[in-house]
Amino acid sequence: MIFVEILSRHRDVAARFRFADQDVYIGRGYDNDVIVDDPYVGARHVRLFRDDAGRLVVEDMGSANGMFLDRDKSRHRRIIVDGERPIRIGHTHLRIRETSHGVGPERVARSGVRIAPIALAAALCLVIIGIEIVTRWSGETGEPRVSNYLTPLLWLAVIVPAWVAVWALLSRTFSGSAHVQRNLLIALAGILGFALYSELAQFSGFALNWAFVANYHYVALWIILAIVCFLHLREVSRSRLVLKGAVVLILFAFIVTVQTLQQFEAFYNSGRETVSRRLLPPALRLVPVRDEHAFFAEIEGLKAKLDRDRLHARTDEAAP
Amino acid sequence: MVAAAIGGVAWAASTEPLVSALPGPSAAEGIYAAAPPRLLQIRTLVSGAGRQSAIGSGFLVSADGLAITNYHVVSQVALDPTTYQLEYIAADGSRGEVKLLAIDLPNDLAVVRLDKRNAPFFAFDESAMARGLSKGERLYSMGNPLDLGFTITEGTYNGLVERSYNERIHFTGALNGGMSGGPAVTAGDRVVGVNVAKRSGGELVSFLVPARFAAALLQRVRDQELVPAQDFRAEIGGQLAAWQSGLYKSFIDQGFRSIAFGPYRAPESKAPWFNCWAQTNASAMPKPRASVNSTSCRSDTGLFVASDLNTGVIQLSHAHVRTVDLNQFQFAAFLTGQSQTRLFGGGPFRKWYTPQRCHEDFVVAGSAQDHPPLRVVWCAQAYREFAGLYDVALTAVTEDHGSEALVSRLSLQAVGYDDAIALGKRFLDAVQSTP
Repeated sequence: MIFVEILSRHRDVAARFRFADQDVYIGRGYDNDVIVDDPYVGARHVRLFRDDAGRLVVEDMGSANGMFLDRDKSRHRRIIVDGERPIRIGHTHLRIRETSHGVGPERVARSGVRIAPIALAAALCLVIIGIEIVTRWSGETGEPRVSNYLTPLLWLAVIVPAWVAVWALLSRTFSGSAHVQRNLLIALAGILGFALYSELAQFSGFALNWAFVANYHYVALWIILAIVCFLHLREVSRSRLVLKGAVVLILFAFIVTVQTLQQFEAFYNSGRETVSRRLLPPALRLVPVRDEHAFFAEIEGLKAKLDRDRLHARTDEAAP
Repeated sequence: MVAAAIGGVAWAASTEPLVSALPGPSAAEGIYAAAPPRLLQIRTLVSGAGRQSAIGSGFLVSADGLAITNYHVVSQVALDPTTYQLEYIAADGSRGEVKLLAIDLPNDLAVVRLDKRNAPFFAFDESAMARGLSKGERLYSMGNPLDLGFTITEGTYNGLVERSYNERIHFTGALNGGMSGGPAVTAGDRVVGVNVAKRSGGELVSFLVPARFAAALLQRVRDQELVPAQDFRAEIGGQLAAWQSGLYKSFIDQGFRSIAFGPYRAPESKAPWFNCWAQTNASAMPKPRASVNSTSCRSDTGLFVASDLNTGVIQLSHAHVRTVDLNQFQFAAFLTGQSQTRLFGGGPFRKWYTPQRCHEDFVVAGSAQDHPPLRVVWCAQAYREFAGLYDVALTAVTEDHGSEALVSRLSLQAVGYDDAIALGKRFLDAVQSTP
C-alpha cells in the first residue's frame, strides 16, 4: 500500500489517498490519480512508481514549475521518497508513505491539569505584586491610599490576560496550539524583569552613584520587551528563529534610537534633564564619600562643557 | 483703607495754614508750566512697521539735545538695533529721531541724543545730591503714563530703599507704566531722581534712581565725547559682568553667620540686602508625616537686562526635615521631593541660556566630626550672550541620619564660575552637624 498525503501550509494532512502498489499520476488534470487544485501545478505534474531496486521514486513529467524537496531551492527531476521530507510541486506539499512507515510511541494522556506551570505562574504573580506593593509603600509619604496598591493588581488582572490572549491566538493560528501557559509565563517573567530592573536602577543610581542607569532606564526596558516578544514569537512557531530574532532586534533598535533622539532633542529644547534621581536611606550608600577637593575638581571640569555648549549655541544662532 | 488715608493727608496738607509754607497745589502747576518743551515721551518703534512696541518717558538735560531716560525704556534698541528704532514726542508736540549714546545697566539709565538745539532743559539739584533730602520732602514726578498724555504727580521722598543692594530712592507717589525715565524734581524744579519702578502689589510704593548716577553718566558722555553706537550688546555684557563681580565680591566679603536647624548648623548671609522668610508645614492638613521647617533668603539685587531677562538674584535656603511617622525609605522618598535641584533662570531658556549641566556625588567637606556626609548636586547653565556668566544651583542633603536631614540650597544668578566655586565651597563647609 502507498499513501499520498496533501499537506496544509502548517503541514497538517489535508487529504489522504490510498493506492495499491502501482504507478500513481499526480497533477491538475482529471485524468490523474491524485487531482491537485493548484494553478501552479501542471496538468500531469509527477509520476510515482517503484524502481527496480524496490524504492519509491517521484519523477517530474516535464512540468514548467518543477519539483522540489520541502523548502529547498534546487529543482529535482527525480526524488527517492523517504516518507519524512515533503515534496513540493507548485504551492502544494505532498508526503508519500508506505504501510511499513514507522510511527512514534503513543503519547500518554495526563489525567487532570499539570500543576507545576500554574504554581510557577502564581508564584511569579505573587512576587510581582509583592515588589510593586513594597515599592509603593516605601514611596508613600502622604495619606495611604488603597487604590494606589490595587493598580498593580488591575494590571495583572486585565492587561496581562489581554496580552497573553493575543499571543495565544497567534500561536493557535500559526502552530495549531495556543500554549497559554507558556505565553503566560513569558509575560509574567517579562514583568518581573521590568520590576527588578527598576528597583536595581534606583538602588544603583543612589548607592553606587551611577547616573547612567536612570538616564538609560528606557533602553533596559525596551530590551526586556524585545526578549519577551522574541520568546512569544518562538512559541508561535519554532521555525525561522534567526529571521524573527533579527526582525525583533531591528524593530527595537529603531525604537530605542528614536527615543534617544527624542530625549536628546527635548534636552536641548527645555535645557533640563527629564530624569530625577531618588534618594534612599543613607545606610544603603555603597560608594565612599568624596572629599570636597575631588568634588570641586569635577565641578571645574563642568565649566569646559558649559563653554562648549555656549560656543555651539552661538554658532547655531549665526548659521541661519 | 490705605488709599483713603493717603487722600486724607493730601487734603489736610492743602488746607492747613501751617503747612502752606510748603508748596501747595500751585507748586505743581508752576513746575509743570515750564516742563513741556523739556519733557519727552520716548517711543521704541518696530523699524518695519513704524509703530511703537514700547513707550517710556525722558527729559532733556542739555541745550544741545542730550536727554536722560531709563535703560529699560531703550533696551530693545540697545539689544537689537536692526529691528527697533527710537523716536521722541515732546510735551509741546514736536517729535523726531533719538540716538542711543550710553547706558548704565545697573542703575537702569541711558543717555540719548535728540535733534533739538537751544531747547530748555532740566538741571540736577547738586546740593540735594550732596546733602541728601529729608524724609517727607515733597517731590514732583513727571512723565506720560500709559500713553494717556503728560502728567505731573505729587509724592514724598522717603529715603533710600532699605535692604536693597542697588541704591534706589523710595518715592511715595503714583508711578505708572510709561512714566519710566521721567524726572522727579523738588519744589525748586531741580531733578533729584529718575522714575524707574513701582512695587506691584504695593500702593504708591515707587522707586527713583538717584540723580547723581544720571549726572555721572552724562558726565561720561561729555568726557568721552561718545557718539551713537551701533551695538550695545558687548557693553551690556561688560557692565553686567563687572557689576555682578562686585556684587559677589561684596557677598563673599560680608560673610556668613551660622544658624541652628535642629542638630545642624547652616550659613546665612550677613549682607543687609537679603530678605528672609520662614516657613513650616506644622499646620498643614492632612497632618504631615514629616515636619519641614525652612527659611529662605532672597537678595534684592535683581537687574533688568532685557524685557525677558531679569537676573542677578542670590537665594539661600535651608529646610530641616524630620520624620513624624515615615520609615527610612518613605522619609528618603519625602526628601527626594524636598531636594530637587531647580535652576531659576531669569528668562526664557532657549533665548538666553545653554542647557543645564549637573554633577552629583556624596561629599564630605572638612573634618568628619562636625561635617556630615552630604549628597550634593551642582547644576549650572551658561549665558549664551554674556561670556563668563553662569547661573548655578547647589543643593546639599545631609546623609548622616535616616530619619532627619537638612536640605540646603544656594542659587546664584549671573555669577562668574570661580566665584560660584568659591561660594559653593564656603557654603558646603558651613553645613555642619553639632555633636
